[in-house]
Amino acid sequence: QCLAPLPPLPEKGGEVRYGLIPEEFFQFLYPKTGVTGPYMLGTGLLLYLLSKEIYVINHETVAAVSILSVIIYGVKKYGSTVAAFADKLNEEKVATALAVKNEAIKSLETAIEEEKKEQWRVEGCSYLFDAKRNNVAMLLETNYRERLLRVYNEVKKRLDYQVAMQNLKRQKEQDHMIQWVEKSVVQSITPQQQKESIAKCILDLKALSKSAQAAV
Amino acid sequence: MAGRRAAVKAIDWAAFAERVPPNQRAMFNALKTRSDTLSARLAALPEKPPAIDWAHYKAAVAKAGMVDEFQKKFSALKVPEPVDTQTAKIDAQEKEAAKSTAEYVQASKARIAQYEQRLQTLRNMIPFEQMTFEDLHEAFPETKLDKEKYPYWPHKPIADL
Repeated sequence: QCLAPLPPLPEKGGEVRYGLIPEEFFQFLYPKTGVTGPYMLGTGLLLYLLSKEIYVINHETVAAVSILSVIIYGVKKYGSTVAAFADKLNEEKVATALAVKNEAIKSLETAIEEEKKEQWRVEGCSYLFDAKRNNVAMLLETNYRERLLRVYNEVKKRLDYQVAMQNLKRQKEQDHMIQWVEKSVVQSITPQQQKESIAKCILDLKALSKSAQAAV
Repeated sequence: MAGRRAAVKAIDWAAFAERVPPNQRAMFNALKTRSDTLSARLAALPEKPPAIDWAHYKAAVAKAGMVDEFQKKFSALKVPEPVDTQTAKIDAQEKEAAKSTAEYVQASKARIAQYEQRLQTLRNMIPFEQMTFEDLHEAFPETKLDKEKYPYWPHKPIADL
C-alpha cells in the first residue's frame, strides 16, 4: 500500500485531432513524412478499404453518417454549456466542503481562546477568598467596637442618672423652700403693718414728686 | 492582643469584577454590596469610645464612693473579643477551591492540546480537488461509513441520509 499522496489529476485530457486520433501519432510521423504524412496515410487507407470493398457501403453506412452528424452537431453546439454546468455543480460541492473546513478551523480557534480566557478567569479565585476574609475581619472589628461603645454608654447613663437625680432633688427642695418662705411672709403681714407701709409709701412718693418737679 | 485587627486587605474590585463570568455576576454583586455595607458600618463606628470624665462625676455625684467604685470596675473591665470561627472554614474552602481550579486548568489544557492537534490536521489538509474518499475520511473522521455496524448500503441509519 503506497502511503505517498497521489499526484493531482491533470486538468485536461491528452490532445486529440478530429476527436479521434491523438496528437502523438502525428508527432510520431512528423520526422519521416512531415505535416501531410498522416493525412496521406489516412486518405490512402480509406480509398483502399472502399475500392477493395473491404468496407462495403450499405444502408448501415447511411444510418451511421446521419447519426454521427447529428451527434457531432449537438456536441459542438451545446458541449461547452453542459460542461460549464457540470463544473458549477462540482464547484458548489467543493465550496461547501471548504466552508465546512473553514468553519471548523474558526470554531476551534475560538474554543482555544475561550479556554485561555477561562483559565485567566479562574486565576481571580484568590480575590474571592480575600474578600471573604475581609468581610469576616470587618464583622469582628465592628462587633468589638460596638461592645466597647455599649459599655461606655451604659456606664455614662448610670452616672448621668445619679447626677440628674441629685439636681432634680435639689431643685425641688429649693422651690419648696421658696414657696414656703413666701407663704409665711405673706401670712405674717398683719393689717396694722399694711396700713403703716402704705402711709410710708405715700410719703415717699410725695417727696419724690417734689424732687422730680424740681428736676423738670 | 493576637487576633485583634486582622488586617483588612485592600481588594481591587475592578480587577475582580473583570474576572467574574457573566453567569455568576449576581453572586458577585451580592458579595460586593455586603462588603460595602460592612465597611460602611465599620467606618461609622469610632475606634475607641470617648474617655469618661471621672473628675467631673466625682465632683458632681454626692454619694460617696459610688464614682470611685464605678471607676475601679470600669478600668478593670475587659471587653471580650468576638471569637473568629469562620476564618478556618474559609481557609479550608480556599484549599479545596485551589485544588478544583488546578484540576480544571489541567482539563482545560488537555482540551486545548486536543483542539490544537485537530487544528493542525485541518491546516495541513490537502485541497479537496486532489482528495480521494479515503483521504477525506482521514481528514474528517466523522465522514467514515461504519461498515461493521451497518453492513448494508447506505451504511448509516436511513434517518441520517
